Amino acid sequence: MTRVSDPGTHWEVTDPARLATMIRLRALRMVAPHGFGYLGQALSSAEQLAALFTVMRPGRDRLVCSPSHYVIGFFAAAAELGILSEDDAATYGQDGSPVEAIGTERSPVMDYTCGSLGQGLSAAAGFALSDRLKGKDRRTFAFISDGELEEGQIWEAAMFAGHHRLNRLTVLLDANNSQVDGPVDTITTIEPIAAKWQAFGWTAQDIDGHDVDAVIKALAAAAEGDKPYVLINRTSTMRGLDCLPADADGHFIKLPPDLAARAEAELTGKLERRDA
Amino acid sequence: MPELRQPPYPTVLKPYGQSLVALAKERDDIVCLTGDLSKQCEIDLFADAYPDRFIHAGMAEANMMGVAGALARDGFVPYVHTFGAFATRRPLDQVINAIAFPNLKVRIMGFMPGVSSPGGPSHQAIDDVALMRAVPNMTVVDVADAVEVRQVANAIVDVDGPVYVRLKRGEIPVIFGDDHRLRLDRADVLTRGEDVALFASGMMLAPALAAARLLEARGASVSVVNVPVIKPLDAATVADVAGSAKVVVTAENHTVIGGLGSAVAEALAEAGLGRPLRRVGLRDTFAEGARTGPYLFGKYGLSIQAIVDAGWTALGRRDPAPVADSVPADEGEYSPV
Repeated sequence: MTRVSDPGTHWEVTDPARLATMIRLRALRMVAPHGFGYLGQALSSAEQLAALFTVMRPGRDRLVCSPSHYVIGFFAAAAELGILSEDDAATYGQDGSPVEAIGTERSPVMDYTCGSLGQGLSAAAGFALSDRLKGKDRRTFAFISDGELEEGQIWEAAMFAGHHRLNRLTVLLDANNSQVDGPVDTITTIEPIAAKWQAFGWTAQDIDGHDVDAVIKALAAAAEGDKPYVLINRTSTMRGLDCLPADADGHFIKLPPDLAARAEAELTGKLERRDA
Repeated sequence: MPELRQPPYPTVLKPYGQSLVALAKERDDIVCLTGDLSKQCEIDLFADAYPDRFIHAGMAEANMMGVAGALARDGFVPYVHTFGAFATRRPLDQVINAIAFPNLKVRIMGFMPGVSSPGGPSHQAIDDVALMRAVPNMTVVDVADAVEVRQVANAIVDVDGPVYVRLKRGEIPVIFGDDHRLRLDRADVLTRGEDVALFASGMMLAPALAAARLLEARGASVSVVNVPVIKPLDAATVADVAGSAKVVVTAENHTVIGGLGSAVAEALAEAGLGRPLRRVGLRDTFAEGARTGPYLFGKYGLSIQAIVDAGWTALGRRDPAPVADSVPADEGEYSPV
């Protein structure tokens, strides 16, 4: 199975906003057979992933997914773009499938994920360093989450990348304020996020992470700087699916058949009306 | 039988550091990472020779392992340097998920094995072999002398997967003759005897050889086997040598749980060989900070006497065991306690 940076890999994004809705729908269909799962991660990251696949150069740039529960969104995007086969995507999380629900190093699509939270930024820094050593024109994109900022390794990696001025490294930080035990801000104060990264030698910017055009613009501009770049995407794990109950657990959404059917109708309707 | 020197052994300085520079001269895929312990891990030599391939990770072992994994995925062969305690405990999750699971060619060089450091429990890697041996895909190496140390960087460079190596710091004794070859697929039978099968790794080879001489002098013949690779263990040699002896003794600069002694015990049991087994090593205890390593080797039972006593009691000998007497060593020489 393919990783995005494998030579010869190809895809094209024509309508990023529509791709975001398709990612939501695909993720819904991947989770529905299980009755529960990491749908919230796909909902909060859909626009960021659509933007990523719009900006990344196929077969060249690299993609790291640090919070491995988010791989569902990556798989969904890859399936929509023909990078992951329909058949493989359909085995998501099933017995014997290499398309595991919590990503590992054998997972397709991403160049690295590590499985255990807080590790991906180190791998991304390693890729950026490797490209510098080899003189390769590649960008490395790392997707990380706000909850992961509680892990010390993130800050080890941030300091490393800042010190080495790894300016080909671009981070999308999904600030959805969600972790297992509840909202991040009720568990650990991680704010001010941007100021922390800036203090570590990064360029940091806050943005509405559901504004796909703004994310695309920011990712494209990030290539020009002389420091590593982090885009802090303010998002919600419920975004783009109005039928979810207000008290749904965004980290691990329960999806009984009737709710799954309503969600399917909502998203397919949106695509048919072409209002996404 | 291979040529062996007699104690006190001559010593050499920085054989590993020199060998890594020589390897990097031949191979431009070698990169060198350090966790703020460059001189201590002898890679100041590498930094001088190949500054472009020398990477300071700082005191951030978790990040260092992740960076190394990505470099390895990209075709580099990273040699990662810190003390063994810091290479295996703090970043265990990173070693497992970022390096071992994807089976990447990262070489983790853990200096100051066991109680060779008098630096106390925080700095003493007494459980590193157990931790690394439990990790799938990992090869675990504990070299015995300068002849092996000089060869180890080269010997592991093309292993298809991660490797953990224990390396003594400072003056390294020269035990083997120059023609000794470090092999990853075979334990070395150094002497043949019919009473005691004595398996030793790393720094315990020197006291094992001394203990064997004392036992031989009292009529107990000893096979001494140097086991530089604890995983994958050369189980065939273990079974062969143990099968032709009455009792088995293992000696390791490590806790007796999970290291060489455990590996040998598993091999014996799987071969259906019932032999009394004595494991010499730290007895499920932490050590302590001290002024010198040899003091700790004596106090925690990693001594010639401890090995002699283990063999003696395993054989059921009732007469007093021979008494070990360490050979005096001058400045620049090494003699086991």
